Amino acid sequence: MVTAAERVSSHKWGMAVDVDRCTGCQACVMACQAENNIPLSTEDIYRQKRTFAWIRIERYWYGEFPNVKARFIPIMCQHCENAPCEPVCPVFATYHNTEGMNVQVYNRCVGTRYCGNGCPYNVRFFNYWEPTWPTSLRNQLNPDVTIRSRGIMEKCSFCVQRIRRVSRETTRDGRELQDGDIETACTEACPTNALVFGDYNDDKSRVSIMRNDDRKYTHLDALNTDPNVVYLAQVDATGGAAGGHE
Amino acid sequence: MQQRRILDEVAINHELLRGNLATPKWWLPTVLGLLVVVLFGFTLMGIMFNKGLGVTGLNRPVYWGLFITTFVFWVGISHAGIMISAILRLTQAEWRRPVTRAAELLTVFSLLTALFFPLIHAGRPWRIFYWITPFDFARGIFPNARSPLVWDPFAIGTYLTGSTLFLYVALLPDLGVLRDRTTGWKHSFYTVASLGWRGNPRQWRLQTVAGILLSALMLPIFVSVHSIVSWDFAVTPSVEGWHSTVFAPYFVVGAVHSGVSAVVTMMAVMRWLWGWDNYIRPEHFDALARLLIVVACAWLGFTFAELIFGVYSLEAPERALREMQMFQWPWNLLFIIFFLTAFAIPVPLWFFKRVRNNIAMMFWTSILVNIGMWLERFLIIVPGLSRKQPFVFTWDSYQVSPLEWGLLLWSFAWVMMLMLLFSKFFPLIPLFETKESQVFTTDVKIGRVNMPAVIRELD
Amino acid sequence: MVTSSLITDAVDERPSNIEATATLAGEGRTAVSSGLKLFMWILAALSVIGIVGIVFRFINDDGRQDWGYYAATVGWMLTIFGGAPMVAIAPALAKANWVRPVARIASLGAVATSVLALLLIPLLFKLPALTEFSEVLGDDVRRRSIWFDSPDYAPHFWNALSLATLALVGMFMAYVMAIPDLAAIRDHGSGWKQRWAKKLARGFHGRPQQWEWLKMRIGITGALYFATLMFVNFLFSLDFAVSMVPGWKDSVFPFYHVITSFQAGLAFVILGAWASRRWGGTEKFIGQEQMWSLGKFMLATTLLWFYFFYSSFIVFWYGRSESDTATIKLLVSGPYIYLFWTVFFLVFIIPWWVMIWNKVRDSLWGPPIAAVIILFGLFLDRIRIYVASWSAVPDDLELATTSILGDMPETMWPDIFDIFIMVGLPALGLLSILLVTRLVPVVSLWEMQQSRLISKPIRFLRGHALLVGKPD
Repeated sequence: MVTAAERVSSHKWGMAVDVDRCTGCQACVMACQAENNIPLSTEDIYRQKRTFAWIRIERYWYGEFPNVKARFIPIMCQHCENAPCEPVCPVFATYHNTEGMNVQVYNRCVGTRYCGNGCPYNVRFFNYWEPTWPTSLRNQLNPDVTIRSRGIMEKCSFCVQRIRRVSRETTRDGRELQDGDIETACTEACPTNALVFGDYNDDKSRVSIMRNDDRKYTHLDALNTDPNVVYLAQVDATGGAAGGHE
Repeated sequence: MQQRRILDEVAINHELLRGNLATPKWWLPTVLGLLVVVLFGFTLMGIMFNKGLGVTGLNRPVYWGLFITTFVFWVGISHAGIMISAILRLTQAEWRRPVTRAAELLTVFSLLTALFFPLIHAGRPWRIFYWITPFDFARGIFPNARSPLVWDPFAIGTYLTGSTLFLYVALLPDLGVLRDRTTGWKHSFYTVASLGWRGNPRQWRLQTVAGILLSALMLPIFVSVHSIVSWDFAVTPSVEGWHSTVFAPYFVVGAVHSGVSAVVTMMAVMRWLWGWDNYIRPEHFDALARLLIVVACAWLGFTFAELIFGVYSLEAPERALREMQMFQWPWNLLFIIFFLTAFAIPVPLWFFKRVRNNIAMMFWTSILVNIGMWLERFLIIVPGLSRKQPFVFTWDSYQVSPLEWGLLLWSFAWVMMLMLLFSKFFPLIPLFETKESQVFTTDVKIGRVNMPAVIRELD
Repeated sequence: MVTSSLITDAVDERPSNIEATATLAGEGRTAVSSGLKLFMWILAALSVIGIVGIVFRFINDDGRQDWGYYAATVGWMLTIFGGAPMVAIAPALAKANWVRPVARIASLGAVATSVLALLLIPLLFKLPALTEFSEVLGDDVRRRSIWFDSPDYAPHFWNALSLATLALVGMFMAYVMAIPDLAAIRDHGSGWKQRWAKKLARGFHGRPQQWEWLKMRIGITGALYFATLMFVNFLFSLDFAVSMVPGWKDSVFPFYHVITSFQAGLAFVILGAWASRRWGGTEKFIGQEQMWSLGKFMLATTLLWFYFFYSSFIVFWYGRSESDTATIKLLVSGPYIYLFWTVFFLVFIIPWWVMIWNKVRDSLWGPPIAAVIILFGLFLDRIRIYVASWSAVPDDLELATTSILGDMPETMWPDIFDIFIMVGLPALGLLSILLVTRLVPVVSLWEMQQSRLISKPIRFLRGHALLVGKPD
């Protein structure tokens, strides 16, 4: 087994989420839906408890009435270095690539859903039905992204198609990849810049700086998953930094 | 007081081959009735393949539900055969003899049934060969040896192969008897199947040695199978209710509990259907019930440890899970039924000799145990998934769909149909064991008491 | 006797009832060989050293980590002497005939358990209360344990009570199983033994009601002993090991403790059988069959040792959460790694590969050798577990109340007092058993006579066989 330190790669992609900036507007959810050809979460699907949202805004209420506050935490695949979903897949449909990402190979997946049980963040989604789109939406499907058939798992890919495209373009043009060249759909859509995407191997990138912030925390530390998505805690106006809901 | 029946060998042949040489009147209608249910089940599977797993009640986060429960249940039942045949053979328990064949048979058929469930449960069942066969096909990669789901096919495959061999080796002498008493195509079939069995000393020695060797080899496999099934759950740190070190022995003992109970059920049915009152006697039920008391108490100890360590950690999600599992509607109802049926009703009853020797009571209590043990697996698998980790936003529940209930029904009909088909062609009580038992037991008179005695070989 | 034509009578070479009575209950056994006397004096001297060790341990006491070796020794003795009587009970409940000659040796383990109940007292003083952290962290903060909101000293109380119960039930069982033999000594012996036997036999004359009474008492105390043993192992392993380590959550551990207890009990009985043959003049009663059968069971428990160990190891190893990795590091790969591998070979690999050969199992020398290896290995195993848990004194109390072990403790080495304790306490236990065997015969006379009554060697066709009656 190759450990994270031994992997030779120039990039280690990651995301930083400033929970303090998140307004819960759900723009990222919609952007992701459009970018990644995510099946429609209709009312019917909602009632079946099988909605898809590669990124979702979890909303928690804090305090006693009337001083109630809503807090929002965007949760997407945490791209754990030590992912519980990876070793359990019998067919290597999910594995860790050399750029710090947890990737899903749709063609290999047979749909045992074991990874879904293994994921503590519940960010893996199973295609219970063959996804369909109304004719009016057919033309908006992104040609860069595979449409997943029924019976397989899918999850946030850090918009890998964008990473690949920008990498190709920079190689073609013979220039260095700069921080900010690659934007995922959600970071691009976020009106408050709560979501930031970048390369941890680049010390000057925004995510690297945010990762060294005092407010930084990761979810479910005790499980030792070592996520590549870090969170910056909410700053409570009444004093003290309140983390997520943990 | 055990009463030894002295039976002559002609009568044994005549009575035990009753179902093979002639067809009982009830046989054909029953098999046809079961066939209807089985075909209905296959239709349901067809619907599921055609439409996708959406037709089940599974959702997110409850990705595993009734199918995996039923898989664990049938793998559990399959532990009866080796428990009874191998362990009791190695410890030379005399009362095992009429039970062995039925128990081994139950092992083979319940494993065949259990295998269906994870396979039809896959999202793309037409691709499962990538998962269950260690061959890289065109993809250039083997299955992932780190995944417990890859250990499963190996464990179950080995177990199925081994127990089929075990069954076959024990069947050989009886096949020889059948060959000599049939004509026509049946005769040809038994001739081939009996592998030239003549009953000469060399063949008997080989058959006995093979039986003992297979018993000893099957024991570690027997333990490993349900341990591996339990590790499907236990190695997952993300699901609080699953990540418990006691799972392997807990599942194995639970499997023996449900498996031996299933053998009791089956013996009662055999006694009623074929009228084998001289062979399956109250003393056999008595011995099985004593064994069950020990197994059930061990199982209760493991259950207790599992629950107390669940609360021991005092962590919020685990406490929420245990509270739901035991105290929230409708889980509390299931939990009470589970505890009553798996332990609290049958085990105290078995302490009474009158219950142990009463076949109807044994039949119903053994059925209760299996209801309880099915619920036990359900209560382990589903609540753990629906209360996973502190992200309460994603907690959700699970309703079993009618299609899933249908396939549960199918599994029972399927096992019963296979059993009845088998009973038409092979004797369900081993003839040679019964005859051997006649030779190996005798009576001794001590004072005024006539006591049954067994012969232990010393050399 | 109903005999079929296949069965013919064979020569019975077992000692007759008269011979057995003379050897086991008669005057012949009053003489003590000088070797045994010397051995008992040595044990007595070692016991004194052990007690000196305890006293100096109290004087040189820098906190509970110093008591790890004491806890390990007590844990080891509980494993052996608590488990031994099970060898007398379990086969008896299954109507096994072979166990009769060694049933007495097994039941005598209870004598040492009663000594053990006294040795628990210093440990109770050192066991931290449930409110250990409340002074620093506030009144409502309690250490993680299975006792939740029970009174502060619940583990102390229940452990003392359960171990005392175990000792009492075990002693009572050993006594009840000895009554017919004491009656025989009363009738055939002489001197102080006869006087004592007369008092203890309580007017046993072998009337049918008295035998019924005896059978019932043995059955009830046997079942009770088993239940108490499970309970004691459960409590002891949880309170003196698991709950002292933050983050160690191991639901199979109590059962692992029980299995090692059976394994050690079997090893003890095998060694006892060997010693009584060698020095006690019981060659005619204890034979190869006993070694063979005990050996089979010891092989089974040896394999189960691995199974239970592996069950917890794989779950921790695969789980990879912080508490999982910390637990593996503490118990397996960290401060005690060399100890762990030694244990692994002594308790599992070597006995497995020695005992798997029928030739070794079915011999008079094979099982005792494996038993010595296993007992020594289990001693190291108890050190690995108890010393590690007692050394895990949390520096960071906040961490200790969560499920994470803070800093990994360093390897604890025994000092001279620990060595005194490790040598002295087992010697004390052994001495107590040997003292009792001065009065009670090491092979049960009535079991031998019953065995003669319901079994008999026969010839079955041309082979040798044993005809065994199966009473209800």
